[in-house]
Amino acid sequence: MPLIDASGLAKLYRLGRVDVAALRGVDVTVERGEYVAIMGPSGSGKSTLMHILGCLDWPTSGSYVLDGEDVSGLRGRALARVRNRKVGFVFQTFNLMPRMTIDENVALPLQYRGGVTRRDRLRRARALLARFGLDPRIGHRPDELSGGERQRVAVARALIGEPAILLIDEPTGNLDSHAGAEVLRAFREVHQGGNTIVMVTHDARVAEEAQRVIQIADGRVAA
Amino acid sequence: MSFLEALAIGLVEARRHWGQTLLSLLGLVLGTGSIVTVLALFGGQAKITQDFVAEVGGFGTVVVRDREQSERPTARELASDRLTYDDAAYLKERATTLAAVAPGWANELEYRAGAVHFAGQVIGTTPDYAIINDIRPLVGRYLGDLDVRRRARVMVLGWKFADSLFGDPEAALGRLVTLGGANFTVVGVLQREEFYFAPWSGNELEYRNERAYVPITTAFSQYTGVDERLSFLTLKAASPAGARAAQGQATAMLALRHGVEDFDVTPSGQGGNGDAEFFKLFDFIFLVVGVVSLVAGGVVIANILLASVVERVREFGTRMALGATAFQIFAQVVAQVVVVASLGGLLGLGLGWALTGTVATVMQMPAAVTAPVAGLALVTSLGVGLVAGIYPAWRAARMAPVEALRYA
Repeated sequence: MPLIDASGLAKLYRLGRVDVAALRGVDVTVERGEYVAIMGPSGSGKSTLMHILGCLDWPTSGSYVLDGEDVSGLRGRALARVRNRKVGFVFQTFNLMPRMTIDENVALPLQYRGGVTRRDRLRRARALLARFGLDPRIGHRPDELSGGERQRVAVARALIGEPAILLIDEPTGNLDSHAGAEVLRAFREVHQGGNTIVMVTHDARVAEEAQRVIQIADGRVAA
Repeated sequence: MSFLEALAIGLVEARRHWGQTLLSLLGLVLGTGSIVTVLALFGGQAKITQDFVAEVGGFGTVVVRDREQSERPTARELASDRLTYDDAAYLKERATTLAAVAPGWANELEYRAGAVHFAGQVIGTTPDYAIINDIRPLVGRYLGDLDVRRRARVMVLGWKFADSLFGDPEAALGRLVTLGGANFTVVGVLQREEFYFAPWSGNELEYRNERAYVPITTAFSQYTGVDERLSFLTLKAASPAGARAAQGQATAMLALRHGVEDFDVTPSGQGGNGDAEFFKLFDFIFLVVGVVSLVAGGVVIANILLASVVERVREFGTRMALGATAFQIFAQVVAQVVVVASLGGLLGLGLGWALTGTVATVMQMPAAVTAPVAGLALVTSLGVGLVAGIYPAWRAARMAPVEALRYA
């Protein structure tokens, strides 16, 4: 059974009196352990697809089975639980909490999960940060870090809950080429560690990192 | 995550966003402070007016006076004897709702004792007058029933007149005073009465020190002969709450006797004294200002908290993406608002207390931060804070995470 099995995903946005279709029936399957890139021009619907796959939004119609659970009908608390346990989301702008230290940032998903003491959460966060070579930065705040370091903090935060899938939005959009290469190496290691990765990018060289590329155009899978 | 843990996040957040917290706090402190100050000053004014009304006869006192005759009086009006001593005697005997009935006759007469002489007010009345007006003798006694029955030529002097006539109020007791040509023995001198709305204003009750009281029967026989019409009739209800009933009964009984309603019945403290009227208006203005400051303070508080929460909707989006439930977001905001609003409310209370003290001292006004004022200010700051802080949080928590993330 594939990790992601989505079929007929459609998303309509109501703009005033007209409905605008961001997705017009997308079928996507991702196997466990795969590294997939989603590409497409801006406005193609790739971001909407990414948000639905990450349970940050829900489809207007179609079904989405994630890790054996149909989540297309879930809302509220139930969907928050799925986001917390099954999805690790890395934002293009990282979205780290500026007033928290990076270890506190990384520990945040465990806090929302509950059942882990603060001491344990921070211990696990620091261990994960060390895996990404960030141990000298523990106790610092995001604004004291470089862009590449922040990206890796965001990845650590996405991974701390041991999610079924890591979703990454435009990983190199906010990084220079050197930092970008560093980040891609980190993703490769994460993938080699057994994680499933789906990333959205418009950069063909970044997409080459992935095992498979899904092209989206005009709300449909193009190739 | 438990509610307690959500509260803990809220507290930590309040500390982390200390700049924003400080700003919210400032708004709350100023808002609450102004509410407290205005209400305390208002309360002080209201209390002093109440004191004054109590001092000049208290609540539940009713004054009856002849109504001015109409331009073309009817036969009934012409036939009426107007308010007389008999009316008073009748009410005293029959009216069940009244505790005291004091008929009054007032005139300006010449006082003379030795070489000192001047014109001044004389009130002819009965012992009930002392019950209604809270009269306290300094020496001697007030008028007695026997004085009235025997038409005794005795008088009770106000403090100022006793002082003017004999140089020492206490020395007046037992002396003779010629009043409008007739000799009276001084059987009592009253305590000095005083009441100040503010230290810079005069003694509102000085007129009470500048008069003498004689039995009303004596006054009639000495100065008016057969005419026993009254200048006023003061009634006291059996209980302060029964003032309305007393007013009704007295009106009905007098109208029956007169055959026409040719008199006006007014509760004391209203219309009797111009200053009391003025201060009632003052009260009203203060009430308006108090309500306005309550609303204005509330708006300031609401605005600042609203801004601080709206600014953070995108942060809520991130937290939701990490798995926070709507409830967890909500609890976090509630905790923050409760902490900030209570702290701000308490500090504002302190500020208001200090301001009130300063104003009260500088302006020499009576003002006190009472428990209800403090409570109202705290409830306002907390209530407004919760509404202003929780409404946007509730909205944010209901959004899809993407919506919150895109929120500008």
